[in-house]
Amino acid sequence: MRIIALIVMGLLAFGTVGGAVAYAADPPSAVPTAGAERAGKQVNIVKTTPHMDRRESRPSSDNPGTALLFWAFAAATIGGALFVITRRNLIAAVMGMVGSFLGISAVYMMLYAGFLSVVQMLVYAGAIMVLFVFVVMILNRPEDEPVAPSGRAGQALGGIAIVYLVGRLILLLINVRPPRAETAIAAPGPITLNVPGGAPEKVEWGSVKAVGTDLFGPGLFPFEAISILLLVAVVGAIAIARPLHASDEEGTS
Amino acid sequence: MDFSHLKAGPIPYLAWIPLLPLLGALINLTLGRKLSRGTIHVIAIAAVAASCALSIYMVFGPLRQLYVSSPEQAGNIGITQHVYTWIEIGSFKADLAFRLDTLSAVMILIVTFIGTLIHIYSTGYMAHDPRPAAYFGYLNLFTGAMLILVLAANLVVMFIGWEGVGLCSFLLIGFWYEKEEYANAGRKAFVVNRIGDFAFLLGMFLLFWAVKSLDFQDLKNPATAGAAYVKAWGPERLATAAGIFLFIGACGKSAQIPLYVWLPDAMAGPTPVSALIHAATMVTAGVYMIVRLSFLYSASTAAMAIIATVGLLTALAAAFMAFAQTDLKKVLAYSTVSQLGFMFVAAGTGNWVAAIFHLGTHALFKACLFLGAGSVMHGMEHGGSKTPGDITTMGGLRKHMPITRITFLVSCLAIAGIFPFAGFFSKDEILGGAWSVDPPGWIPGYGKVLWAGLLLGALGTAFYMWRLYFLVFSGDERSEEAKHAHESPVSMTGPLVILAFLATIAGAIGLPHLKSPHLPAITHQLASWIEPATAQTWYETKVPIQPAGKANNEGCCCIDGTNNPVGTALTKDGGDMTVGACRELNPPGAPRSALKFTCADHNTKQCAIEKQSDGTTWGLMAIALAIGALGIGLAWMFYGRGPTRTLERLVAGPLAGAYEASKNKLWVDEIYDAIIVRPYRALSRGLLEIVDRFVIDTVAVNGSAFVVGLFGRISRWFQNGQVQRYLTGLVIGAALVFMMSDCKTHATFEFERQGDTIILRAKPGAGVSGSTSTLYWDITGDGEPDPDPANPSKLLTGPEVRLRAGDIHASRVTLIIEDAVTRKTIKITRTLTDESAPEEVHEGSAK
Amino acid sequence: MNDIFWNVGYPHYLVLAAILFLIGTVGVLVRRNALIILMSVELMLNAANMTVLIFARMWGDLSGHTFALMVIAVAAAEAAVGLAIVVAVFRGRRNVDVDRLTTLRH
Repeated sequence: MRIIALIVMGLLAFGTVGGAVAYAADPPSAVPTAGAERAGKQVNIVKTTPHMDRRESRPSSDNPGTALLFWAFAAATIGGALFVITRRNLIAAVMGMVGSFLGISAVYMMLYAGFLSVVQMLVYAGAIMVLFVFVVMILNRPEDEPVAPSGRAGQALGGIAIVYLVGRLILLLINVRPPRAETAIAAPGPITLNVPGGAPEKVEWGSVKAVGTDLFGPGLFPFEAISILLLVAVVGAIAIARPLHASDEEGTS
Repeated sequence: MDFSHLKAGPIPYLAWIPLLPLLGALINLTLGRKLSRGTIHVIAIAAVAASCALSIYMVFGPLRQLYVSSPEQAGNIGITQHVYTWIEIGSFKADLAFRLDTLSAVMILIVTFIGTLIHIYSTGYMAHDPRPAAYFGYLNLFTGAMLILVLAANLVVMFIGWEGVGLCSFLLIGFWYEKEEYANAGRKAFVVNRIGDFAFLLGMFLLFWAVKSLDFQDLKNPATAGAAYVKAWGPERLATAAGIFLFIGACGKSAQIPLYVWLPDAMAGPTPVSALIHAATMVTAGVYMIVRLSFLYSASTAAMAIIATVGLLTALAAAFMAFAQTDLKKVLAYSTVSQLGFMFVAAGTGNWVAAIFHLGTHALFKACLFLGAGSVMHGMEHGGSKTPGDITTMGGLRKHMPITRITFLVSCLAIAGIFPFAGFFSKDEILGGAWSVDPPGWIPGYGKVLWAGLLLGALGTAFYMWRLYFLVFSGDERSEEAKHAHESPVSMTGPLVILAFLATIAGAIGLPHLKSPHLPAITHQLASWIEPATAQTWYETKVPIQPAGKANNEGCCCIDGTNNPVGTALTKDGGDMTVGACRELNPPGAPRSALKFTCADHNTKQCAIEKQSDGTTWGLMAIALAIGALGIGLAWMFYGRGPTRTLERLVAGPLAGAYEASKNKLWVDEIYDAIIVRPYRALSRGLLEIVDRFVIDTVAVNGSAFVVGLFGRISRWFQNGQVQRYLTGLVIGAALVFMMSDCKTHATFEFERQGDTIILRAKPGAGVSGSTSTLYWDITGDGEPDPDPANPSKLLTGPEVRLRAGDIHASRVTLIIEDAVTRKTIKITRTLTDESAPEEVHEGSAK
Repeated sequence: MNDIFWNVGYPHYLVLAAILFLIGTVGVLVRRNALIILMSVELMLNAANMTVLIFARMWGDLSGHTFALMVIAVAAAEAAVGLAIVVAVFRGRRNVDVDRLTTLRH
């Protein structure tokens, strides 16, 4: 178990260092082009018109270092996920989960989603996993039988279905191309924000400012709705987890 | 004439006639257990008697008035009263409607009058029965059903009565169901009748299919029915088919070969029931039905020949079977079957009046005979007999039962056809009709054969009836019980006397028409009375002649379908009309509508039946009388003072075979058992094993349970409350959805020329990518999307484009379908000048 | 093979997300422990999130980021409630095997 954790950590470390090097070697393009503006909104996000180049189907540059980074983070993600579903020890599973989330976070970074990457690390790998660890400590009971008995036919059918889905999805997804050659971008250029009453401002793709502008502009209503959802969830979680009677707590502890 | 005032409350009088007995039945069957015997008797008799009184009023009041006042309406005299519309489905409409015409008038009088007498008689006969309420309830129910049958204005209502009397017959035959053989007899009657009823229904359906109506008036009316007949099958063919089906129904109800077997067994019922149902009324329903539908049978010589032949065979066979029976009621039962055969011969020779005449007289004397038999058995029972119907133990009863004996004697004279009793006249009408009938389409002289057969039957009738009489009443008592027999109470002998009296004089209403001596009109009232309700004759259309010019003074002649004179023709004064005079009246080839004749003289309508000269009539009467006397003489010879030695020698010697055949009823029951019952049982057993045990029990019942269980087990596997199983199903479903998306349908496009314009319509096919694809058109043949000729700044796109023919290069068009997700393309190329040229399909990846 | 390894493009990322999702699915399918199942659900949510980000990148539309943020929030709420249920269940019956949670069955 430790070895696997070490491998995940090692991959992550490699990825981080390698990523920094790759980013330095090939910084995002800074050539903006004019695009159609979204009318009728206070804050408009104007997408860059990307290069028309042969790298159209790639999210990042074709630097070999980038490829290596991808494989490293992908391995960390998949490895951590496999760790989650195979371990009997709950703490080990949670740790694998943390590794997987860190890998995902790094993949987000490679997709030029810097803000989301950080949020992923903070919220998931940080907060949610701590929550899980707490619960694991409360339960503190390794499983007797980790795998559910679902019947031979179910196992066979489900297995066949999963294998088929894996193959089918891969076959489908490796053919995906960007919808239009014009919008296929290698490295995203900066985004032009039309600030009302001010000069248009250029911000980086995926940055806090870009995401925040979108979030508080067109996404304002869902954002507020989410806040209510979170409130409800917190109240609900407390209501559920609270012992119904004082005696219950004594009886169980 | 308007008869709408003839009603009490909302219910017209005609409906009250069957309703009164039905009400009596309702009271007796529901409340009867709580009522005293006397109350039950009063209710039952009052109901029938009231019905009888109402019938008499209706017949001799309004109907007679109508009959007298409107002779020109010949063929359409009748009172129709509509109660309510019973069924109305699309074009099918059945009214609960009753029609009283001269034919049904005769029937309701017979039914209610004899019914009343038999109700009265039953109070004596059934005085000690433990279930009087049920008995009288059934009897009332029967009377009501029979009245519905005869008063019905359409076949559907008639069928209600038809089934109703069948039900009551079953109930009353098996009235003493404690004895298993009695219950079996009831069942046998019911089952055999069902066979007939099935055919009856088929006939009804056939008629409805052809004419679209089952109302007798509609069926009869040439305007409505004639066209329908012709359109459907042609009158003769339809009449033959429907007629034969209906006749099979009549065979069941009226106990004709081959469905007569139930009637002798039906003697298991109480004797008054045998008298009312199985002699006087119900069994004559078949005859009545055929006379009622005489217009239909008139159109088919084939159906008539079958009826006559079956009737004759039945008359002879039943008479033969009656010879050696030793049970009093069995002899009478076979006698009934035989006499019904006579009636069917009459109907089959188109002698409708004679059929009804004999029906009426037979009802009287046979009811009298049965009631007399009941009286005898009643007396024998009181004498201590355990087998009261066994005539071998009787003899000499004339001393002990004088009234019964006299009435029985009168009835025996009547049935043997001795002048001046009723049976003589009615039987003579039948014989005379058979003698003179010679329709086209029959074997020439077949009428004579029928006559000879009937004569033989009449001889047999006289013989077995008088054998019965001598064995019961003459000679000395052959048992102790017979010595102690005594006369029945007045309630029983009263009806006997009335019936015997009527059996003596009833013949007067149907005296034959003779040119000389001229008899008063009242003496042959019946024929004139019934004639308007029946077809005039059956193989030709008799058209009574209207005075038109001096040469064609009142008179009538008979013509066939092509206006050729057929049979005899009469002038007004009874003389023969020449063929030439008749032809002059009805020129050949003249359309039927041109022959607008009505009857000038009511009485001369008879000319179709009067095809024989006075001499023939007298001769035939003499022969019939002689035959009757001969039969009586033979019976006297063998049985006059009890069974004689000669008879024993004959029976043991030369006539042994015939005697055995008669005693064993020609082994008909055994034959039916061998050829119908046993194979049917075997078939049933096979069906039980295969259809019921295997198909229904195993496959259908257990099989469906198994299938349900199987699905239950399968769905239990999913619905086991385990979320993970559900999710497994979800995953499998997702996999299946992906699999389906693999099956892409064939993509193509169509084109249509509209003058100079060509319209291209893409058919990208269904599927995941098909609906979201982008469509481009290549019209220059370079394999790349082309701009729209009308608007060069845009590409040609969309599922339907319109182009001018000149825009298309080399008539080759390529449809380019580009997948939105994978950017794969499919190119379909068609040559527009050649419809049949195959499509070229290329698949490629994104550019 | 060489090309697939070195030329990393959108399909690679999409396949990665798909595999992650299917691993999560298998986890939910086969494990009995409610906690592990919850974690597997989180994996599936993350895979979906990743797909959203890839397509946002592919279409050059930043609203995908907003969407992903919302998904994270919902996932957090779901985890909180889910864990609360797990704790409540555990308190009542001393185990969290989903197989044995059959009270509401039938």
